Amino acid sequence: MSQELLEDSVLLQLRVNGQPREVEIQPAQSLLDVLREDLRLTGTHMGCMTGHCGACTVLINGRIAKSCITPEVTLRRAEITTVEGLVQGDGCLHPVQQAFWDASGFQCGYCSPGFLLATVELLKDNPSPSDDEIRHAFAGNLCRCTGYQSIVRAVRVAADKLKENPQ
Amino acid sequence: MAHERQGQGYVGTSPRQLNGDAVLRGKVPFTADVLFPGQLHAHIVRSPHASARILSVDLSGATRIAGVVFALDGMGAAQHTDPIPHYLDPSVFGGRSAEIRCLAIDHVRHFGQPVAVVVAGDKRTARYAASKVRVSYEPRPAVTEAAEALKPGAPMVVAGWDQNSIMEVPFGGGDVAQGFAEADRVSRSRVRIHRYSTQPIETRAYNAVWNTGDDTLTLHATAQNPHPLRNVLSRALRMPENHIRIVATNIGGAFGLKMHGHPEEALICLLARLTGRPVRWVEDREECLLVGGREQHHEIELALRKDGRILAIRDRFLANTGAPSACPGWGMAFLTGLTMPGPYDVGNVAVTMNAVVTNKPPWNASRGYGKEATAIVLELAIERAARELGIDPVEIRCRNFIPREAFPKKTATGLIFDSGDYEGALRKAVKLIGYDHWRAKQRAGRATGKYYGIGVAYEVTPEGGALPGTMVAGFDTSTVKVGPDGSVTLLTGVTNPGTGNPTGIAQIVADELGVTLESIRVLQGDTDTCPYGFGNYSGRSTIVGGGSAALAAQDVRAKVAAVAAGLLGVGVETIRIVGGNVSSSALPDQILRFADVCYAAYTRAYDVAAVIELPLEATRSFKPGLISHQPDENGKINPYPSYSNAGYAAICEVDIETGKVTLLKFAVAHDCGRVINPVLVEGQACGAIAFGIGGVLGEEIVCDAKGQQLTTSFVDYTMPRAADVPAVAMGHHDSPNPVTYLGLKGAGEAGVGGSAAAVVNAVNDALSVFGVEMQELPLSPPRIWAALQAAGAVRERPAAAAAGGSVP
Repeated sequence: MSQELLEDSVLLQLRVNGQPREVEIQPAQSLLDVLREDLRLTGTHMGCMTGHCGACTVLINGRIAKSCITPEVTLRRAEITTVEGLVQGDGCLHPVQQAFWDASGFQCGYCSPGFLLATVELLKDNPSPSDDEIRHAFAGNLCRCTGYQSIVRAVRVAADKLKENPQ
Repeated sequence: MAHERQGQGYVGTSPRQLNGDAVLRGKVPFTADVLFPGQLHAHIVRSPHASARILSVDLSGATRIAGVVFALDGMGAAQHTDPIPHYLDPSVFGGRSAEIRCLAIDHVRHFGQPVAVVVAGDKRTARYAASKVRVSYEPRPAVTEAAEALKPGAPMVVAGWDQNSIMEVPFGGGDVAQGFAEADRVSRSRVRIHRYSTQPIETRAYNAVWNTGDDTLTLHATAQNPHPLRNVLSRALRMPENHIRIVATNIGGAFGLKMHGHPEEALICLLARLTGRPVRWVEDREECLLVGGREQHHEIELALRKDGRILAIRDRFLANTGAPSACPGWGMAFLTGLTMPGPYDVGNVAVTMNAVVTNKPPWNASRGYGKEATAIVLELAIERAARELGIDPVEIRCRNFIPREAFPKKTATGLIFDSGDYEGALRKAVKLIGYDHWRAKQRAGRATGKYYGIGVAYEVTPEGGALPGTMVAGFDTSTVKVGPDGSVTLLTGVTNPGTGNPTGIAQIVADELGVTLESIRVLQGDTDTCPYGFGNYSGRSTIVGGGSAALAAQDVRAKVAAVAAGLLGVGVETIRIVGGNVSSSALPDQILRFADVCYAAYTRAYDVAAVIELPLEATRSFKPGLISHQPDENGKINPYPSYSNAGYAAICEVDIETGKVTLLKFAVAHDCGRVINPVLVEGQACGAIAFGIGGVLGEEIVCDAKGQQLTTSFVDYTMPRAADVPAVAMGHHDSPNPVTYLGLKGAGEAGVGGSAAAVVNAVNDALSVFGVEMQELPLSPPRIWAALQAAGAVRERPAAAAAGGSVP
């Protein structure tokens, strides 16, 4: 890394999956890079680096965001949840993860982090979404394997699970 | 393959994916997730020209930047490497073959061709330094359109070739002239399929590790075919295969893109060897969009009787395969021709395929592998014929289908279709969609300015292919190992691109062996541990991976049963193994645990296990029948064992103000033979439908007249999102394949073309009231809008148009 880039780097304090973390972020370095390369949280995936595919989706202060294009200035003291952080305190899968497994809401799994986190946000805002609402909640996510049918089904299962067992 | 099965009951059910827990926790490492100590990162310098002579490459601007470890140009790479062997060498089939290098040496043939590479300690430095490499080019005229490339005087894409063509091939048989002479009518279509591609969400990635101690190489790769890739690398890198290990364990979707021949594969390995350190390269989306597929222009004629019966088909088409490559993309054009005339019982067929080379970037395989193009072209042509003859689109198809009693059926091109009930499947799809209901709704809609369309289509997809003289093999191999604790390890030569095939294959093994699904661990994609195999392509994974695993499991079961018989003192024929429990019909009250029998096998080799050969392992291959590489009396071969097929129906609404198509409903009746895991199979079918929908409505790769690609991101390349894909009504209409294990047919590729054609036919059905029929794809809103404008449709709408409705 060249000297001038190092001088322009910024020290960020974040809370990632509940843990306080201090990271050095370089100019033009994405949050996705910081998560994957510096914190080695590789569950968040790169698909396009332009914010269109959603494989890099994380929750920032409870809202979904594309970590590949998130400006560093918006991240000060941010609370970030990645797919690794969805797992419950007892190590069990989050009900949304469990539903995606049980209802086969994935095939290769590469895009799944984005769909899981978008589902978490959707069901927090709207515990009983219609199929149309589910489809539109994924406006920012691409899946190339499933044709989306099984993902919509998994979200319905997740909604039922969360109603029985609110988080 | 008649044999007695234990019938545990996993086959035919839908257990969830075996590794789903780890995948959904984000704990499954994909290739780009792997980092090694001392990791270096590569960035590739690519040609900005479609055709140019390279005058010089100056790497010094890059190498003087702090953090840069190494840089290389084509001349440097050529000192250490040989040309990349072709996945499908055209010369094997009598075509023209070009030399492919991992970095261009003295000229470039396409935009984006790798010219130099920079390696640094981090990827941002590598990218920055790559911008400092100075390449001096002398641009040459480029040719981007197939028809232009064939004109006399066109610039040659490959120096020394006399034509811009890999090969021109005729397909067909019968008496085509006679068919046309007897026709009441000839229906002509010009179907133009645009350039589009696969675009898995995981792009390609390679991480090569050179072990200086023993001069071995490990390549972690997004590779569908690890063993054949190892062979290619050994030749390109001039090292023996047994010094190379490929690891391709978890892949984030492949769809053909990750079949090999890409220059980066050998290049990244070479960089690891030259630096002695691990080198990683991750393709960015713009690079991924360079890889093309599918662009074909057809002129097809149907000779018709007035009752709709097709007497003969003539089709001439050009496939724009881009610049030559070592990837197997060009072969798709071959398969398009070979698959004609699809599901139709037409003996008089003359197809001429020309696989043209241009200065566009090369093709690679794309799900459907050219067979989807056959479906698109035939289904658009027959739709036009139906309209011209005034026959219902469902009826005209049913009048021409190969009847169900005709199987096995040899087609005009020499394929031998195994089984099917095409009319039954199409009628099932039509029923699922509510055909008559939508016809009524369509008529009513026109009065209020709502333009609904109903489209149907059929597709036959040859799958599980084997091409003689190539690494496209029809067989594959699996090993089943059972340890003293009774746990089962299944190693197979087929790979998992993310379809769930390990779960399906494990279901088969669990049933054959008599154990629980959870006791099985599946290992794939590692050339050091898995039996030699050909990986994933052509919808083969469950046919040959499952078939070979079943045979291996049967062998191991026989050993376990023999030991159990010894332990119980009963005849082996009385032994039953179900769900991890071993019992004998002779001793109904005694049950042994599978694990205890296995432990006895390993520890009592001289008494109860003396009758078997230890260990509890078996390796078997499965080679399906029906494939025939001995040319018949007309010189034709049948390279496929399996012909899955499906009927499709789509309902759309077209907004004539904007040209936007909204899909309202989709139905499919699918025949992929015996179904191992219905949920996984439906997932494959729905994924293929989304491919079909995206391909004809939005996805398009565009370049300018000079061959510079303009499509660079998902802003330009619009793949379907969840709201673009309607609910799919799925019906199974299975006819078991007589030549595969359990009657399996392929399920991975089928449906891309049939669903695409159903969508196009639905749109044209909606537009028919305006006299508009579009056979140039994609049907993006601007194109539909322009066609409606040209037809004067919007001025006349809606009352006049409604009055003129002429749908049968």
